[in-house]
Amino acid sequence: MTTAAPAGPAVARLRRRIDWLPYAIGALTIFVLVAFLLYPIVKTVMFSFVKSGDELAFANLTLVNFRRFVEASTYQNALWHSIEVGVLTTIVSTMLALPAAYAMARVPIRFRNFVLALFIIPIIAPPFIGAYSWIILLGRTGIITHYLDSWFGIQLPSVYGLFGIVLALSLHYFPYIFLFVQGALAASDPYIEESADVMGASRLRILRTITFPLVLPTIFAGALIVLVKTLGNFGVPAILGGGYYVLPTLIYYQINGYFNLNGASAIALVNVLITLIAILLLARVNRKRRFVTVTSTARRSKQHTGLGARIAANVYIWTLLLAALLPQIIIVLSSFAKQWAASLFPTAYGFDNYVRLQETLGEPIFNSLVLGGSATLMCVVFGTLAAYAAVRKRFKGKWALDMTIMLPFVLPGIVTGVAYLTTFNSGLIVLTGTGTIIILAYFIRRIAYIFRSVTASVTQVDEKIEEASTICGATWGRTMRKVTVPLIAPGIMAGGILVFSTLITEISVTIIIYSVEWKTLSIAIFEQLTNEDILGAATIGTVAIALTLILVFTASKLIGRNMADMFR
Amino acid sequence: MAAHVLTVKELRKVFDTDQGQVLAVDGISFELSGDEFFTMLGPSGCGKTTTLRMVAGLETMTAGSIFFDGEDFSGFSSFQRNIGMVFQSYALFPHMTVFENIAYGLRVRGMAAAEVGGKVGRILGLLGLGDLAKRYPADLSGGQQQRVSIGRALVYDPGMLLLDEPLANLDAKLRVEMREEIRRIQKELGIMTIYVTHDQEEAMSISDRVAVFNLGRLMQAGPPHEVYSNPTSLFVADFIGKANFFPARITRSDNSGAKVALTSGAELALERLNALEPDEEAEIADGFDATVMVRPEHLVIGRAGGDGLSCRVRRIQFLGNIIRYHAECADASGEVIVDTTRLVGGLEEGSEAAIAMAPADSILYHKGRA
Repeated sequence: MTTAAPAGPAVARLRRRIDWLPYAIGALTIFVLVAFLLYPIVKTVMFSFVKSGDELAFANLTLVNFRRFVEASTYQNALWHSIEVGVLTTIVSTMLALPAAYAMARVPIRFRNFVLALFIIPIIAPPFIGAYSWIILLGRTGIITHYLDSWFGIQLPSVYGLFGIVLALSLHYFPYIFLFVQGALAASDPYIEESADVMGASRLRILRTITFPLVLPTIFAGALIVLVKTLGNFGVPAILGGGYYVLPTLIYYQINGYFNLNGASAIALVNVLITLIAILLLARVNRKRRFVTVTSTARRSKQHTGLGARIAANVYIWTLLLAALLPQIIIVLSSFAKQWAASLFPTAYGFDNYVRLQETLGEPIFNSLVLGGSATLMCVVFGTLAAYAAVRKRFKGKWALDMTIMLPFVLPGIVTGVAYLTTFNSGLIVLTGTGTIIILAYFIRRIAYIFRSVTASVTQVDEKIEEASTICGATWGRTMRKVTVPLIAPGIMAGGILVFSTLITEISVTIIIYSVEWKTLSIAIFEQLTNEDILGAATIGTVAIALTLILVFTASKLIGRNMADMFR
Repeated sequence: MAAHVLTVKELRKVFDTDQGQVLAVDGISFELSGDEFFTMLGPSGCGKTTTLRMVAGLETMTAGSIFFDGEDFSGFSSFQRNIGMVFQSYALFPHMTVFENIAYGLRVRGMAAAEVGGKVGRILGLLGLGDLAKRYPADLSGGQQQRVSIGRALVYDPGMLLLDEPLANLDAKLRVEMREEIRRIQKELGIMTIYVTHDQEEAMSISDRVAVFNLGRLMQAGPPHEVYSNPTSLFVADFIGKANFFPARITRSDNSGAKVALTSGAELALERLNALEPDEEAEIADGFDATVMVRPEHLVIGRAGGDGLSCRVRRIQFLGNIIRYHAECADASGEVIVDTTRLVGGLEEGSEAAIAMAPADSILYHKGRA
């Protein structure tokens, strides 16, 4: 039939090998998730039902730790305050973000990408030092307080308490909603609005009946993130709270004051419960709204090009940006102040603070980079593997993997801290006071970022490409190394940089589990603030912001993505 | 060296879906040897691709066995089976050049760089891709990408080549060119090949043997001309080419043939009989329902009053080399199609006409004894 020699002697070359690598890696991933995520959480839950000092045993189960939510007004108030702050911050953030998102997406704005990039600064800046700036601005002798009073005779409520916390948190978190909604508006299918236009609907009617309903799910998604983050935020209420406690600050004082892990666990549990209730409520409201409109054309939606629209849009966007960046501006300004006491503005400028802190700065920078870097590496490895398995493999209980990974996302940082402290203080693994415990806690807290980012990337890679590699004779490991990982690298990088940049200024979990040898940048800032060395705190804060920005900028250039896109 | 042999026995695949279990492949058996070009043909969802993927090891088998040269394939993962495969989407590695794509399988096998260069060069030459070695897949046309994916599958001398709808993404003209090319290369290399397609013209023109699938079963396998001219089931008759069906009742039968009556009462004597349920005791019996199948080119259409069944011409299509008459006929189930090579005088759209069939070209399908 043929003149050519028969193809290769297949049988002689067939080799039977067990490809054990995927199983080993799968087992390791499961072990890590169970040991460092599920185990601490379960143990914390158990702790909260045992009296301080008692053994963890069935006979010792009690509700005594929760009794104070019924008896003590401090506890009841903290619970109420958390709800109050959460709801108000979410509403205010949404109100701030929506007009800006619409203006950004539908009105021509100069230097669009640059402006978008500016909006991520509030997210990555350390929130508690930003909160302190608000005292400088709005405190009894603050800059804004002074001008409002002397020019208009207006007196603001005290910056300590609800007003200051909601203001600081709203301006800190609104970019999440802004970036989400802006992205959705920019990517929405122009034909849908155009068909309404052709049918004779006015601009306002289109906005009300088409545009707004279509982005509503996105608004809810952004609002959910703001709500969850607000409920877990420790830094801002710690600075601006005064006597106004929320659950995370209450937990902190339980541990810092009394080292009452059981009591802290109980508060933590309540904190998680209200977070979960909030998520369920929002999910319920949002349940029936599942429509995605993503345009397939390169054409953009109709833009408002009138002069009035452009002025209004630019004024709003820049005012909002200024307000959101004001704390950061104050921080940078303070870091260069020689003297700033009893005067509205610094009386002299110079590099004195940097020179003064030269020696003290090195260690926290090093620690933050090492701890954050190691945790990022772990997130990248295990987050990628978990995401890969979740997309590619068919197995029962996939929802459990999803839940496990996303769980820390809803756990307030301080709760993770408590969980780690209770779990690794004694028992099977003792890690208290080590760098490892911080790395692990960071890892657990941020793995969801990589998971989400990589899940999206893997979904976009045709599975047949991996099959082609397998058919060519490559083992699972080789296919991963040579084909899959290179193809999903941008997703991994984007997730990794998001993790790293948010870890540099992490405070909620760090404050609970750090030790003297492992002080991070955020702890250094916190300590300076506690010592009333505001200029020193501002200097370290400036370094932290600069470091983070450089990282994000370099990474965005490296993977060729807009900085703002990485935070969506 | 002895030729390769692939034996697939009683292959079954059940998928677990959210809606419950789906039987995708239902007891498929076939055997291939040497450099045979075997095509699995069928409508979408008939189980042909799943069967191919089980041979490749990309899908687990629910039951059955696959042996290659006497070795049980179930003991080998797909990366150990030494097969080449071409995907519909080409599935080229987008981050590698043409050269790197083709060299991949060789490098996986740990071949030395110099040898890799030689082998890839030869394949590039065979496929006429010499100038494109340094390009990336995104810079290639669909046809070029397809060649690269064929080259990638062949370069390491696999024991067999599997092609899953490889031409579906190409335009019509290129499809015809490429299928000839695939056939040429396949025979040149003498490699056992399994080809999956839903395009019957492609299947008929390229294959040594065609296997027609339906609902997870292999309905019939054989050389293209045999499958066309002697389909063993109504499905295959209908699926392959055009077919005319006439419901009939058996009036008298014996071992050598049968007489049937059509709806109008017209009587026919037929020699070619096919039992519809081959597993059953397929004895033919008087009074049973049956169906007569005749291909369009085997019907003769003429003016009314001549021999045959009366009908009315509905439409006349000029298809270049043939002329196709569509007619309404009380005896047929559905429309009757007649292909001729020249126009029949006196017939226009709307004319009364007569169609005749020859016993040698007509096949009777009958049910077994109940």
